[in-house]
Amino acid sequence: MPISFRTFCETIQVIRGTRSTNTKIGLFAQLLQQIDEPWELKLAAQFAGEGAFDEISGKRASVGSRTSGLAAANFCEIDYDYVFKPCRTATGSSSEAIEKLMENISAAIKKRSPKELSLTDIQQIFEDLRAARNRSDKEIILQEAWKKMTPVEIKYFIRILGQGSLRIGFETRSVVASIAKAFSKNFEDVRYAHMITGSIGKTALLASQNRLNDAEFRLFHPLSFMLASPIESRMIEHPEYYLAEEKFDGMRAQVHVSGNSVQIFSRDLNDITRSFPEIIDFFRQRDMPPTVLDGEICVYKNDTILPFQLLQKRMGLKKPGKKILQEYPVLYIAYDLLYSGNEPVFDLTLIKRSELLKKIAAKYNLAVASQYEISGEEDINYLFEQALKHGNEGLMLKRKNSKYEYGQRRKSWLKVKKPGGSFDAVIMYAHAGSGKRGGTYSDFTLGISVKNDERYEEEFIPIGKAYCGYTDDELKKLNDRISELAVERYGPTLGLLPKLVVEIEFDDVQVNKRTKAGYTLRLPRFKAIRWDLGPNDINTLKDVEKYYQNKLQQERLPQDQNPSFSFH
Amino acid sequence: MNIQKAGYHGLYFPELKIALDGYHPDADFVFISHAHADHMPRNRSASVHATPATLGLMELRGFRGRSNPINFHETLDTGRCTVCFFPAGHILGSAMIHIESDSGTLLYTGDYRTPPSPASEGFAAPESVDYLITEATFSLPIYKWKSHEELAEEIRNFAKDSLEDEHTPVFLAYNLGKAQEIMHMLASLGYPMMIHGAGYKLCSVYEKFGYDLGNYSAYDRATCEGNILITPASALSNGFASNVSKKRIAYCSGWAALESRQTQLTVDKLIPLSDHLDFFELIGFCQRLSPKKVFITHTPNPDVVQHYLQKSGIDASFLQLEAPSEE
Ligand SMILES: [Zn+2]
Repeated sequence: MPISFRTFCETIQVIRGTRSTNTKIGLFAQLLQQIDEPWELKLAAQFAGEGAFDEISGKRASVGSRTSGLAAANFCEIDYDYVFKPCRTATGSSSEAIEKLMENISAAIKKRSPKELSLTDIQQIFEDLRAARNRSDKEIILQEAWKKMTPVEIKYFIRILGQGSLRIGFETRSVVASIAKAFSKNFEDVRYAHMITGSIGKTALLASQNRLNDAEFRLFHPLSFMLASPIESRMIEHPEYYLAEEKFDGMRAQVHVSGNSVQIFSRDLNDITRSFPEIIDFFRQRDMPPTVLDGEICVYKNDTILPFQLLQKRMGLKKPGKKILQEYPVLYIAYDLLYSGNEPVFDLTLIKRSELLKKIAAKYNLAVASQYEISGEEDINYLFEQALKHGNEGLMLKRKNSKYEYGQRRKSWLKVKKPGGSFDAVIMYAHAGSGKRGGTYSDFTLGISVKNDERYEEEFIPIGKAYCGYTDDELKKLNDRISELAVERYGPTLGLLPKLVVEIEFDDVQVNKRTKAGYTLRLPRFKAIRWDLGPNDINTLKDVEKYYQNKLQQERLPQDQNPSFSFH
Repeated sequence: MNIQKAGYHGLYFPELKIALDGYHPDADFVFISHAHADHMPRNRSASVHATPATLGLMELRGFRGRSNPINFHETLDTGRCTVCFFPAGHILGSAMIHIESDSGTLLYTGDYRTPPSPASEGFAAPESVDYLITEATFSLPIYKWKSHEELAEEIRNFAKDSLEDEHTPVFLAYNLGKAQEIMHMLASLGYPMMIHGAGYKLCSVYEKFGYDLGNYSAYDRATCEGNILITPASALSNGFASNVSKKRIAYCSGWAALESRQTQLTVDKLIPLSDHLDFFELIGFCQRLSPKKVFITHTPNPDVVQHYLQKSGIDASFLQLEAPSEE
């Protein structure tokens, strides 16, 4: 029996309202069992777990939240700026605001006469949206589709379109568990098939047809990356079990190569081949047998690794021009091997993979990260300083006997990063937290001063949002003070008088053109609440700009002695 | 018309020498619309006029000043104006304050709800006024309420289903107004209920005015399991019923219309039961009274209401309250 998109969305809505993860998994498993059309089964799992398109297909509908917002405002015959935007702010979700407006506003109710669309119909609409050239064509397709949907369908249609989470507390892992439950399979087998195929839809299909064994790693299909856990203390147990590498100030990338064919994938498994023609040329000239490498793309000039901020100028460029290529040349530095000799090698230990990688590197003259044995904290400190001098971010410690744990963030890879910077900032908004912190304000939008900055009218502008780093006790005190400082309320958000000063720590400063400040802090967190300081004592936007510039201009040691990597 | 700030949230009319929902030293009369904290005067020893039910509730919430009761539809002549209370449908005793003077007629809504809360004296309003000062708590078209009958059914079903599954149902609701409204909706089931202490003491006023709140007692941690529990959300994080492991929690508020509330508060169910009117009711009410001018207060989004009212030809602005000048 095929199920309609409405049934699908209504089930998703019930899952959203259910607290127990097991019940959620059971509900979705039941839904999957009802579908006997293979293609529709694939779509159901894909819509819940990935989005409108298979992640590995790289397809995107390219409908931004502004496009769907404008289309919805027009559909409801309301003003986008005056009415839609405040609704979106209050709900904190564009798609939920649209759901409510579709439900409430009579102009929208009149236009909608819900039909029983199938999942295949929906897929076709996603394809049409992808093919549409401009925003106005996309708006027309959206509005035509919405005429046939209920508000709850419209909400999830938009979320699926966004290729992100459905925000129902039901993440990929739970979809995997539902597939296992629906077709009486082992969870680990389903998870493995998902990792290998990179497609939750395909995985559901294989499970339903008892063909999970068909899932195998294939060249030119990216494999999820193995991730590292940060460590605070450098006193690790059994340092001799680990190898150290410098943590490059670059961009993680997986290279698939076979003879003349080369493909590069980013950490989110997107194909970024075309952005880096010099890497393609580099590998093409080598005429290698089928090989998959994990490593880092860095801007490399005059024997020096240049800052990640410069690499950002290359990211997203589909066809970099000559000037860009000359100014910001990149190099691929490999540090792991996933496929070689016509078979996956990710189940071998790090030591064995490294040995193989070095052999291949020597034969084809590849750049490979230097690895060091360590025996204690002193070695770590020494190597760490050396990495920083090279302009790198810190150190990676990798367990010698570990497999390549694709898609996992466990303790086999540890990263030692340098402490970030810190600023004094003022709390501008408090947001009610979720989960176990429900009912208290636990997320805070922090502002820096632009009081004496002729570019701005306001006194403070946001620079980041922090939701950790404080103790339970501090949070309680903050909440007490917040209730006195609140001047506005937007649903779960409170606007505060700018009085509370916080010292925030962060990993880095990044350019972000979409924010008022033009910069955002990476991973901001509380370091201390400065009850002793007032809003006149905080850092300014100029301080943030200076921090960014200093970082760009920091001296970097060239790669001559004790290099971060070498050509074998 | 000159309107100033009185106290924390209130208004002062210097020409009429009256203050609404706030204390002002120059006021001859202070009128209080209802007994919620943000409408009661901070000055606890002021002399105030309010409905008998509001005065009863205020006294239980710590008001120590002089109470002058006015019944609904009764008029009071201050010498400078005539004042009359209309039932506001928000909570027990809640009133809209109608003022007639040489500058015309004015209606101050306080907090109001139409259709009215079943645990209030109902709702009534004049046919038309010259000036309307209205609250607009739910000032966006994402807010549209279900009927009280539907919501009461949801509340009863949540209680029944939870108890049948051997879980203790917990309703998170503000301790004055919402809590008693829920109890009133549940009364017909006959199940035992326990209400948090701050709300418990106010129940007697409801009963005195003839509202059935069912079979209830004050919250007792040791014996609360298996009762229907009613408490403000804040008490939950301070250990309320934390000894009961099998419980289901419903959050009852207009803000429950927002899905994000479910994860923020970690609750099983959101019941959007509001004691304020929704956006569409608000715009409709303003249109029905067709005032020369609407002043919007108590709102996070005055611009949206203003935009809609102006579209239907009603002059509207956000009531920016200025502190009284020094001289
Ligand atoms: Zn109120």
